[in-house]
Amino acid sequence: MFSAITAGRRGSGLGFALPAVLLLFAFFVVPVAALLTRSVTEPELGLQNYAVLVGSSTYARIFFNTFFVSGVVTLITVLIAFPVAWALAIMPSRWASIIFAIILLSMWTNLLARTYAWMVLLQQTGLINRSLMALGLIDAPLQLTNNLVGVTIGMVYIMLPFMILPLMGVIKKIDPAILQAAALCGATKAQALRRVLIPLAGPGIASGALMVFVMSLGYYVTPSLLGGTANMMLAELIAQQVQSLVNWGMGGAAAFLLLVVTLGLYAVQLRFFDAKEAR
Amino acid sequence: MTTPFLHINGIRKTYGPVVASDHVELAISEGEFMTFLGPSGSGKSTTLYILAGFQDPTAGDIKLRGQSILSTPSHKRNIGMVFQRYTLFPHLSVGENVAFPLRVRRMGQSEIAEKVKRALALVRLDGFEDRMPAKMSGGQQQRVALARALVYDPPVLLMDEPLSALDKKLREEIQVEIRRIHQETGVTILYVTHDQEEALRLSDRIAIFNKGKIEQVGTGPELYANPATHFVADFIGDSAFLSGELAGVQGNRAALRFANGQKVVDIPLHGAGRQGQAADLMLRPERVELSAEAGAEGASLPVTVQDITFLGNCTAVAARTDWGDAMTVRLNFGHPLAGRLARGDRLHVRWSPEAAHAFVRG
Ligand SMILES: Nc1ncnc2c1ncn2[C@@H]1O[C@H](COP(=O)(O)OP(=O)(O)OP(=O)(O)O)[C@@H](O)[C@H]1O
Ligand SMILES: [Mg+2]
Repeated sequence: MFSAITAGRRGSGLGFALPAVLLLFAFFVVPVAALLTRSVTEPELGLQNYAVLVGSSTYARIFFNTFFVSGVVTLITVLIAFPVAWALAIMPSRWASIIFAIILLSMWTNLLARTYAWMVLLQQTGLINRSLMALGLIDAPLQLTNNLVGVTIGMVYIMLPFMILPLMGVIKKIDPAILQAAALCGATKAQALRRVLIPLAGPGIASGALMVFVMSLGYYVTPSLLGGTANMMLAELIAQQVQSLVNWGMGGAAAFLLLVVTLGLYAVQLRFFDAKEAR
Repeated sequence: MTTPFLHINGIRKTYGPVVASDHVELAISEGEFMTFLGPSGSGKSTTLYILAGFQDPTAGDIKLRGQSILSTPSHKRNIGMVFQRYTLFPHLSVGENVAFPLRVRRMGQSEIAEKVKRALALVRLDGFEDRMPAKMSGGQQQRVALARALVYDPPVLLMDEPLSALDKKLREEIQVEIRRIHQETGVTILYVTHDQEEALRLSDRIAIFNKGKIEQVGTGPELYANPATHFVADFIGDSAFLSGELAGVQGNRAALRFANGQKVVDIPLHGAGRQGQAADLMLRPERVELSAEAGAEGASLPVTVQDITFLGNCTAVAARTDWGDAMTVRLNFGHPLAGRLARGDRLHVRWSPEAAHAFVRG
């Protein structure tokens, strides 16, 4: 009913929306439908691809890796991005714009180049291991590549800007006088953070976290370069199925599952924040 | 001398080359309503922020009951404050906003409920507990802010132009509320405003700020009757200033001579001055008379009527002195001259002795 009302009200605008709808159809609906079709028709008609994905422990492991790493990456990203965004929001604007430029520059640097740079830093004889050993903190080099630790570090780095930007947006909108009021009311810094700052930054944290989590779920380059073959994630599975095994059915099924999860998360967030707004 | 309740002791604050407040010295007694009145940029907020602990002074000290509070951080000062901007926590209901100071003090649930109820009753917002701040008017929000600032019984309440965002009628309404709350709670209030009427209406005493310094402190009537400086005389009341020079000084009485040679004598002089120095004659409007006859020698000035405006309860007569200074004299409704004046009429301005003051310029 709601959509009917909207359609009625905006009826005259439909003509303008048509190109966008067609584009969306051609570049989004068609490929997804094709993928979905292949996932239930190859090698033969039926849901066997999905049955294998859900049933086998190998694939369960891959799903677990994917969600676990994405979750940890999201959490660490929030923890690092919040103070950074806060500092950027309150520091003199000249400094903030310099740091901001550095963050943007790193975003615009080629993704592969940045990931290879991390491989060099993280390897057994890399800068990080050598520094830690020189400082006497460890005796033997840590295994930081070819496992999920490496993937997590690399992904946190890649994802940070996507968290810092929305957080800065919400933090900048918070009136400093509100925090002064909290302080005079007797709130310590920690109390002001927990009871005022974080709740007010909530929408920014949520949208940043969702973006990072969803991007992490489907990320390919960093997991494949830093994770090694033993610790596969979902995107790697899809690539492997389609490229090496030419198994479009399995690849399509995995991709489709990923899409469903992502849309589900998005729906949850929409509901959650719509409910909050409506209060 | 006994220790004052609150002692602002030689506070100075500079921002680079800008001197925001300059040796501010003020003793405030318990339960007093003290207002900082002054133009924009005169250092009122700066002084208040130093009290709140948001700024550290460059020099000086703040003592509450004889104890310096400067090393105590804001959240431990136990001072209440209402800000110019709306600073309620937007994600919390009215009740939770008022409860906030008690929650961070880890007070018990039932005691919190009790105190919140009492604080909201004090500002006449009973029953608004569950309302969100965004759904309240500006005046209501400031009253919630007042409840939040008073709920933990602070010894001192700071208010930085809390009503400046409200319209005139609402402002007057809340001024009445603030007076009542001050009387009911007995809290010591430091109030900042640049509205002289608001200051006169609310305060026990007023400190007049100018360029970071306090020019004069006193009750409203004291400041009005006995302004110490030209600035105070100009800022409080709606007076006429006629510019001349000192023609002679005897003790604290002076004679002034104006540009066309006319003289007035026996005027109380504020501030030290020597013969020949530029000085202004200030005339308070309610003690000034227009008359067809000149007064005693040196106690009246001839003027020419420029314009006549009927204002209901009075008639405003714009007049010009012979050397070109403008002044306005009000005639009460029914005054014998009121209906008979015309532009260009020659009249005499006369004043009762306590209405005239001389101020050295500069
Ligand atoms: N953070 C700051 N940095 C630099 N200068 C400042 C700062 N805060 C205040 N000032 C300057 O100090 C002076 C006093 O400011 P203050 O805010 O105390 O004035 P005020 O009397 O409260 O004025 P208003 O009525 O406009 O609020 C002004 O000249 C102002 O520009
Ligand atoms: Mg101010």
